[in-house]
Amino acid sequence: MGEEQAESYLYKLEAVLEEGRLLTVVVIAKTDERAFSSAENNLLRHTITPPRIKELSLVEKKPLGRQGVGYVVETSTFT
Amino acid sequence: MAERKQWKWAADPSLNKMEFTKLEKDGLDVIETIVNTYSKEGFASIESSDMDRFKWAGVYQQRPKDGHFMMRVRIPGGILSSEQARVLAKIAEIYGRDLVDVTTRQAVQFHWLTVESLADIFDRLASAGLSSFEACGDCPRQIMGNPLAGIDPHEVLDTRPIVAELEKFFLLNRDFSNLPRKYKISVSANIHNAAHAQINDLAFTPAKKVMAGEEVIGFHVWVGGGLSAKPYLAKQLDVFVRPEEVVKVTAGVTTLFRDFGYRQKRTHARLKFLVADWGPEKFTEQLLELVGELEPGGIDLTSGWNGGYFYGIHEQRQAGLYYAGLSVPVGRMNAGELNELARLADEYGDGTIGTCNTQNVLIRNIPEAKVAAFREEPMIVNRFKWQPNTFVGYAVSCTGTEYCNLAIVETKERMRSLAQYLDDTVVLETPLRIHMIGCPNSCGQRQIADIGLQGALVKTSNGMVEAFDIYVGGTLEEPQFNRKLNARITVDRLGPFLAQLVTLYKADRQEGEPYWRYVERVGLSHIQGQVDAILQPA
Repeated sequence: MGEEQAESYLYKLEAVLEEGRLLTVVVIAKTDERAFSSAENNLLRHTITPPRIKELSLVEKKPLGRQGVGYVVETSTFT
Repeated sequence: MAERKQWKWAADPSLNKMEFTKLEKDGLDVIETIVNTYSKEGFASIESSDMDRFKWAGVYQQRPKDGHFMMRVRIPGGILSSEQARVLAKIAEIYGRDLVDVTTRQAVQFHWLTVESLADIFDRLASAGLSSFEACGDCPRQIMGNPLAGIDPHEVLDTRPIVAELEKFFLLNRDFSNLPRKYKISVSANIHNAAHAQINDLAFTPAKKVMAGEEVIGFHVWVGGGLSAKPYLAKQLDVFVRPEEVVKVTAGVTTLFRDFGYRQKRTHARLKFLVADWGPEKFTEQLLELVGELEPGGIDLTSGWNGGYFYGIHEQRQAGLYYAGLSVPVGRMNAGELNELARLADEYGDGTIGTCNTQNVLIRNIPEAKVAAFREEPMIVNRFKWQPNTFVGYAVSCTGTEYCNLAIVETKERMRSLAQYLDDTVVLETPLRIHMIGCPNSCGQRQIADIGLQGALVKTSNGMVEAFDIYVGGTLEEPQFNRKLNARITVDRLGPFLAQLVTLYKADRQEGEPYWRYVERVGLSHIQGQVDAILQPA
């Protein structure tokens, strides 16, 4: 974990807001630390009033080596 | 380099990028390049397109991609000889920083290898009749089986010759070295589903059928199972397969996967997607067209699920002989310990060692007269116990951030210490299977655990803290994957949290009720209520 990673990753993070909402944030970063700070910046850009984040978690990362890497963010359950 | 195959999908322009890589140079061809070029010229000489093909040699780059590799070695059916074990131990000692992992597919895994060492390692493996080839890559992987094959009182026939035939047929077979994606086979005649049929691409489970007045023992066939990000349980085909037909049927199913499996999207390429589209009926029709008539399904001889656990010292099918099922905490040992297992196998058993998909080991064929002395061996008393404590004994873990590029959290040592903490804190006499994984992929088979723990990183005022999401109720007894609870527990609270959760189960359970069945009876919302109560601030 940390600065040892030379390649970039596509990170998936989850932000639980104090009001109970769950936001999924996807960012590109080279390290886990930078993924967190990028996610926070994106959350700030996305809102007029800074969101009150109860919990911010990194839940998945995928190497950016291949085109088309991405995530599906489920808003309902599929079979 | 061998003559290039003219695959019928080669002209399809919509193939994914990896398919073009495989068409340009077969994965198996990288072995020759590794031996003749890369192992001599070093890491810097490796062409980037070949790095993906290294998987066909059974080799991956390990984290942090600084020139070290992980290697998986095939242990067909999970049975190896003491001589093979010694060769593996030597490789770990010379090249692998003294580390040996038993995997959830009964393979053996090394870390810290350099490309310069690979040619010698291939030679050492070959000298013992072992191979790492096609242990990774888009090809038939390690064939899972019953590590008790041939001695198991709970098997209906000895599957060792079948596994050996399959291994001989598929290993380095260029007809099947370019599949759409990884391909996992299991063969077991153990009636307790020792080889986890429902989570393999192709699986054979024991069955019988009366034909022309004669009762024949054979197999039922399952296709399309797999875990990964979207787990799927295999479907049973309506066929009965005689033991001598297993290779033919396996070749048929693999041909269907090779020729009709999806190659446009790599994420939609596993056999499970084809099976889901076709359904078992169409899949069976297509299979029969390829392999000829097969009998319709017979009587299923499976009964429940043993989880792949064999702890204890038990009578074998052969009178007067015993096997010992031993615990290797989270599957990790060093070269000296593997050598010691080889000595025990020679001195007390018949020189064979079983590797289990629970990351554990077996010693086979111990004469009754030697059992008492075997029990007193320091290695058995202190390290690889045949009566492990509940949590250490039923803990499984993936590799985690220590070596894996996709993992988010450390798992191996954490799972070991967590299990030890639970054993020190809660007295539970019955198995409770806990699997820990470091990312949403499924190397640690989180989905089939009683309690599955999946890693995440949480931002706190003190920086990043490792945490785990909790899943409950997974089993292959009445197959279902575990389900997620609304709880993300930071590692500092994980031990006490689980101790309380397990204590509640212990108090509420009915006699002999395993955790997965308890979850089924009380319901997920009840368990969520328990979790909420535990997590409520004091």
